[in-house]
Amino acid sequence: MSMEGHDSDGLDGDKVLVGEYVLGLLDAAEHDRMARRIAAEPALRAELALWQNRLSSLDREFAETPAPARVFEKVEARLFGAPASPLAGFWNNLLLWRSLAAGGIAVAAVAIGFNLMQPPPLDPNLFATQLVAAIQAQEGFGVEFVALYNAATGEVRLTALSGEAIPDKDYELWYIKGEEPAVSMGVLPVDKRTEIALSREARSKFEPGTVLAITLEQKGGSPTGVAQGPIVALGKATPI
Amino acid sequence: MTSPGAEIAELIARTALRDRAAFRDLYGRTSAKLFGVTLRILRDRSEAEEALQEVYVKIWQRADRYVAGAYSPISWLVAVARNHSLDILRARKPVNDDIEAALDIADAAPDPEQAAVAGGERSRIESCLGELDADKADAVRGAYLDGFSYDELAERHRVPLNTMRTWLRRSLLKLRECLSA
Repeated sequence: MSMEGHDSDGLDGDKVLVGEYVLGLLDAAEHDRMARRIAAEPALRAELALWQNRLSSLDREFAETPAPARVFEKVEARLFGAPASPLAGFWNNLLLWRSLAAGGIAVAAVAIGFNLMQPPPLDPNLFATQLVAAIQAQEGFGVEFVALYNAATGEVRLTALSGEAIPDKDYELWYIKGEEPAVSMGVLPVDKRTEIALSREARSKFEPGTVLAITLEQKGGSPTGVAQGPIVALGKATPI
Repeated sequence: MTSPGAEIAELIARTALRDRAAFRDLYGRTSAKLFGVTLRILRDRSEAEEALQEVYVKIWQRADRYVAGAYSPISWLVAVARNHSLDILRARKPVNDDIEAALDIADAAPDPEQAAVAGGERSRIESCLGELDADKADAVRGAYLDGFSYDELAERHRVPLNTMRTWLRRSLLKLRECLSA
């Protein structure tokens, strides 16, 4: 469709057209055509941004109205299939972990055994291989993580519960098996979930009693492969 | 101290990382606002619930499209809910996935007005609407907040449809000049 095809003239016409588009005044065919033009023409995208940004100041006039609980149940059912198992819910409940942390009972945890995104297996032996490590932030440090191990993929997923990034420093995660020296699992960002793929050897070391430790190291982690900084959080895997 | 906006942005980012707990938290913190949007535009409780469900499915699926800092996170979420509701109004079954357009705005540079408005200042759009005739400003607000079509606006303001179109397009041009002034 050429520019001449529009019912209003030139650039001003486009400005008005984008305004009508954002307000939702175009009919379905016009709306689709405008959506395609916006995708193709950077000038129209800038125009769209301006209208959206300015009009969004009116958003505060949408009155908050509590939605019934069944809505989110349906969302979860659609996205995740069957309702989350109590166990998966337990693991995924960050609020629970936070409250446990606040109570000083358990701070970080390691679960070993199976993919927590799946419904729990029925095999009781698989249940028996699940472990938790209760880790407490060490004196003077506020760093706390939840760690989940997925045996199916060999990945440890870590989610920060608390802790601030420190300029020119990195947090480094280690596992310690018995009397063996700590082995680095890499540096951990505190602002997002991290997934660490374990080596075959590391996978074989994850058992009840394995300790996870987080130390504060120079940027990029300890260059020597041996922890140099203070231990800021520590926890041991135990069966649940 | 993090602002509520920064916390919502973080929850969106963690949702993009497939963090279900963050998604649940995000729902808890924002669903009343978004339900307010779908309810006001669709004016039917069960349809609004249905739409809200679709909106959060989209948010889970497309959370990675939100770019922190480029746009207020709650405005982004409201845009997803509003566009979805308008899609439903336009055609009973949505033919065009308007979330793409809602997400395009993430390209925009950070807008200092968001902070100014959050700080209680009168927003640009409000002062610019104030420069229009009252009934024309009402028509613009009705389109944005209630999803009124040209037909509905013409009926409400008791003018012929073509008159309403001409009116509103002229008003939009005036508004647009004021918004970028």
